[in-house]
Amino acid sequence: MDKPEFYQRLAEILDVEEVKPEDVLKEFDGWDSLAILSVLAMADAKYGVSIKAEEIRSVVSAQDLANLVEAKHKPE
Amino acid sequence: MKCTFKNKRISSTITVVPSQEYRFDDEYPLFKMTEAQAKRFKKMMSLDRHRIAPPELCASDLCLFGVHRLLDAGVLKKEDIDAILFISQTPDYILPATSNVIHGKLGLDHDVICLDINQGCAGFVTGLQQACLLLEIPAVSKVLLLTGDTSSKLVDKRNRISYPITGDAGAATVIERCPEERTIYMDVKNDGSRYKALLIPGGAYRMPSSVETLELREVEEGVVKCLEHANMDGAAIFNFTMDDVPPQIRDVLAFSGDTWDSIEHFFLHQPNPFIVTQMAQKMKIPPAKVPNNVVSLYGNCSSTTIPMNIALNCSEPMLTGKHRVCLSGFGVGLTWASAVMDLGPLDFCKLVDYES
Repeated sequence: MDKPEFYQRLAEILDVEEVKPEDVLKEFDGWDSLAILSVLAMADAKYGVSIKAEEIRSVVSAQDLANLVEAKHKPE
Repeated sequence: MKCTFKNKRISSTITVVPSQEYRFDDEYPLFKMTEAQAKRFKKMMSLDRHRIAPPELCASDLCLFGVHRLLDAGVLKKEDIDAILFISQTPDYILPATSNVIHGKLGLDHDVICLDINQGCAGFVTGLQQACLLLEIPAVSKVLLLTGDTSSKLVDKRNRISYPITGDAGAATVIERCPEERTIYMDVKNDGSRYKALLIPGGAYRMPSSVETLELREVEEGVVKCLEHANMDGAAIFNFTMDDVPPQIRDVLAFSGDTWDSIEHFFLHQPNPFIVTQMAQKMKIPPAKVPNNVVSLYGNCSSTTIPMNIALNCSEPMLTGKHRVCLSGFGVGLTWASAVMDLGPLDFCKLVDYES
């Protein structure tokens, strides 16, 4: 998985310039239910990955999220 | 569970909406949204406007108005109604059943089956299934399928997540036997283990109505609710719509011997335009086959989004010809129900405003 590309997609969802791996998601103003929905949709559409509601609630940093998607992502 | 029904058809359908229209651009300050937040929300959810019933207007009033229009148009006769199914989560009373109230208001004779079914977004397809089952009784030749909800009464106006996408509507659809050889293919699934994903915790008998259940609280910024309001686990519902519904639609197409290409229209329930777009992309269905404008114009009208979608987008073609369609409803329960069938030529297919 192309991690920089993933962080860029996350930045677009959060409406910020850049997301760093160590950034804590809850500290972004834009990390609300819409953003969570957008992340679930992005993971499904771009990586073919279904992230569960309970999984995304346990994620803290951007890197945790990237790792979660990567662990589930099976390259074609 | 998969099933087929032979020689039954939808002959008429009418959707009725309250005349009161509200625009997101006027309402967003209610949700404590900044202009930037409102813009982002509006864009992502393709929000524009929705119809909200005034306090005195019930779902049954919208449905009954539709029935009268069908009677006036001459496409339905009172004496031909053998059963009334009222699919709703916002009935007139706790008791009696609203279908009985409607039966009385229509002045029908005693040989009529009246049943209320507590269903939400899968209600049109589950109602169609029950209507088809009733039509297996020899004495039943026409079923009035009434779907209606005033869901706006289940949310606070100051709930930024739910209120902007909520809409009120009712529909009356006639299901009848037809001599022409037709088969309706259907699959209805339920998962009660996930019932909490969409729930009104208080106000019935598990947690009776009290001062506590009615206490309005701002549970997060811009989200005011009480225990008698609908509570949704948005992420869990998103998982459900993406993981459970597309495989069901694929299975029903295989069951009926159809392909993605042989279906002209996919009338999916409309929770919000974002989810419908994601589902269509996942199934690789061209957007032109998946009308997705119901929520932007009327709001999510629970079990009525499917008949509304048909009347809003395909009224003319449905009046004149026969079309291969897929219907799919999914939501509270959790219940998901999909059907493949021929639709049309219909005797009546309209979307109208309620007039008091």
